[in-house]
Amino acid sequence: MAKTIMIVDDSASLRQVVSMALEDAGYAVVEASDGKDALGKLDSHKINLIICDVNMPVMDGITFVKELKKLPNHKFTPVIMLTTETQDAKKQEGQAAGAKAWVIKPFQPAQMLQAVSKLILP
Amino acid sequence: MNLDQALATYIAESRDLLGEMEDRLLHLEQDPLDGDAINALFRAVHTIKGSAGLFGLDYVVVFTHVVEHALDKVREGELTFDAELIAVMLSCRDHIDALIEHVSACGTVVPEGELPARGEALLDQLRQRLLTQASAGLPVDAESHRTAEVESCGREVSGDNWHISVRFGQDSLRNGMDPISFIRYLGTLGEVVSIVTLFENLPSFKDIDPEACYLGFEMSFKSAADKETIAGTFDFVRQDSLVRILPPHSKLSDYLSLIQMQDPASDPKLGDILVNCGTLTRQELHDALAFQQRTAADTEDHVAPPLGEILVGHRLVAEEAVNAALQKQQQIRENKARENLYIRVLADKLDHLINLVGELVIAGASANLLARRQGDKGLQEATSRVTHLVEDIRDQALQLRMVEIGDTFNRFRRVVRDVSLELGKEIELQIDGAETELDKTVVEQIGDPLLHLVRNAIDHGIEPATVRIAAGKPAKGTVSLNAYHDSGSIIIEVADDGGGLNRDKILKRAIERGIVTPEQNLDDRDIYNLIFEPGFSTVDQVTNLSGRGVGMDVVKRNITALSGSVELDSQLGAGSVVSIRLPLTLAIIDGFLVGVGGSFYVVPLDMVVECLELSAEERKSALERNYINLRGEVLPFLRLRDLFRENGKAGRRENIVVVQFSGRKAGFMVDELLGEFQTVIKPLGKLFVNLQGISGSTILGGGEVALILDVPALLQMAANKEMQVTAPFARAVATL
Repeated sequence: MAKTIMIVDDSASLRQVVSMALEDAGYAVVEASDGKDALGKLDSHKINLIICDVNMPVMDGITFVKELKKLPNHKFTPVIMLTTETQDAKKQEGQAAGAKAWVIKPFQPAQMLQAVSKLILP
Repeated sequence: MNLDQALATYIAESRDLLGEMEDRLLHLEQDPLDGDAINALFRAVHTIKGSAGLFGLDYVVVFTHVVEHALDKVREGELTFDAELIAVMLSCRDHIDALIEHVSACGTVVPEGELPARGEALLDQLRQRLLTQASAGLPVDAESHRTAEVESCGREVSGDNWHISVRFGQDSLRNGMDPISFIRYLGTLGEVVSIVTLFENLPSFKDIDPEACYLGFEMSFKSAADKETIAGTFDFVRQDSLVRILPPHSKLSDYLSLIQMQDPASDPKLGDILVNCGTLTRQELHDALAFQQRTAADTEDHVAPPLGEILVGHRLVAEEAVNAALQKQQQIRENKARENLYIRVLADKLDHLINLVGELVIAGASANLLARRQGDKGLQEATSRVTHLVEDIRDQALQLRMVEIGDTFNRFRRVVRDVSLELGKEIELQIDGAETELDKTVVEQIGDPLLHLVRNAIDHGIEPATVRIAAGKPAKGTVSLNAYHDSGSIIIEVADDGGGLNRDKILKRAIERGIVTPEQNLDDRDIYNLIFEPGFSTVDQVTNLSGRGVGMDVVKRNITALSGSVELDSQLGAGSVVSIRLPLTLAIIDGFLVGVGGSFYVVPLDMVVECLELSAEERKSALERNYINLRGEVLPFLRLRDLFRENGKAGRRENIVVVQFSGRKAGFMVDELLGEFQTVIKPLGKLFVNLQGISGSTILGGGEVALILDVPALLQMAANKEMQVTAPFARAVATL
């Protein structure tokens, strides 16, 4: 059964591009537009990996990861943070919260696939 | 550059390194844990070995290899320097020195007989030392056991593959990082040839935390990817885990050649060299530097281990690569330093140049003279400009021959160490003025007299520790070497804080030996200097060091041969100082030209203090005595006209040239003052060896010969005359 990846980002276009790339590579994808939306969708699927932006409306990425780590079913789910070059502090904060992997924006779909494949295989 | 030239460079370079080795070893004797010194020592041997390989000098390689290995163990802390090891290392250094001598004499011909036998004996000592310390040394605990194990599997899988060691952090699983996924990902970059899973961190079952990761892996990995890419696999776990990636052997040689080919900026950093060749990733460098800083902050003296050690210690980079990079770094620095600072030139060429400059000075003076006779202003101006330039060229040319005396001084560290060990005295050598420059010829020839003086100071000067303590002095004696400039001469002092000379004993011995008569009126200084007389020795017992038939008289003879003088001053109970006074140069001096009768004389300008014209009244009173009143001071003087039996008509005026040398002052009465003159010293022929008061000759611009006055001898003469005149008076005063 294909591994499922949840992508959390407020940009619909980004979600689309990443979804296409991941689906082509053989993963199943669930989309969410912010942290709160994502928390609500967690239990409807078996999520193997979460890709999550830092800056989002309603609930930002860091808060989301902190919430996620409190959930017994999801606390070990790997998280890839989407950060930018200039946001090193955010990256540190995310790692402290438990999101150890990261991809720096802007990225090519191939880079995302590479990062994902280090953590899970389809 | 042909091979012979390169070999000559190798020999010179090795000698420099051997000098450094000696310095470092002696330093380590005081401070056996100085990491810098240990590294420098290692590098020196490493460099000698490395280059020897290039020239096919296998017998040098074989010997230095073991020495290098032992030093490496010291560097790793498995072996520590103690007196014994230092002694063995010093002997090894000497043996390498002997090998290099052999190279310079016979090239690649393998030495036979005693030399290799001695080398083998030394190696045996060294090997034994390596064995005993290794087994008696470190306690065998789990830690060392583990490293040994890891190392063994490291060897096993090395082949031509990458070697990757990973110890996952305990939180890895909790963070969603599954070790297997990283290993699978590696599979996309190449082939995981073999993998060993390490469980040694796994606690007993009741202590186990099911969420924690205790695993480690040793992998042999075949891939064409570069290190950066492979290391990228573990980006997400790097923070909590330990990841070490060692390149395959073929890769290693790639790195080594890449290091060799690099042509980086002027002062390359070790880390940059390693990153540029690809054996180290930026991230690893970053981490290692951070570790270095942390270590520095943790230790008391804020000294961090060198980066190279950290990199090798953490198995980030193969040792060979670090060594190659260090060598490259040093090479670049040295090349740069050498390019900027030194050109090696044959001494003969310099001598020839200085001879030519001497001739140029004479020719220039003659042109000057002619110009003055012609009375052509333009011509005079031109020749005077030429004269100035020639003077500059002269000074520069002489400067070329100047070398620092420091190297000569430093050689004595070893002498002092060996001799004091032999005699069981504790002695420190203090060196000052090492940067003082001397003519190369002088530096080369001063070594032996100095050696004798230093030995003497240790043997006879410094008392045994018990005597010293009883006298309230520190048990450790001090011998000091000092060099400095003093009015146109160089003074080299050999001082000790020993017992000093016994004035009465010396006088008694001198009278016994018939060197002086009891009636002679001698001051303390004169008595001390009697020990430089031939056939004098006050030693009651012949020791191993002295009594070799070389006495202080030989020291004096050697120094006199260099146109120098030697004096001794001493204080009973406080020590002695031997001062050697040497001319700055032996070729050209600034002189002061004077006329007496129809002849010309040159006084070395450095010794001239002032010139006076005698008034008619003074002339009259000076006729009866040999001194004048110089601003309230008694100044003895010599009439050069009488002294050298000049017949020419006396001038209308008489002048006095006041000279000073080694604390003594006197005047020379002359007819004419002719001014400064560049004097190219021509030695006097054998015929004039016994001539007193003249040290050489020179040729004036017009072709006339001028004699150079031997000021020290003349001063002595003036002082004697003064004594003859004043002594009866002094005696009269004393009896009043």
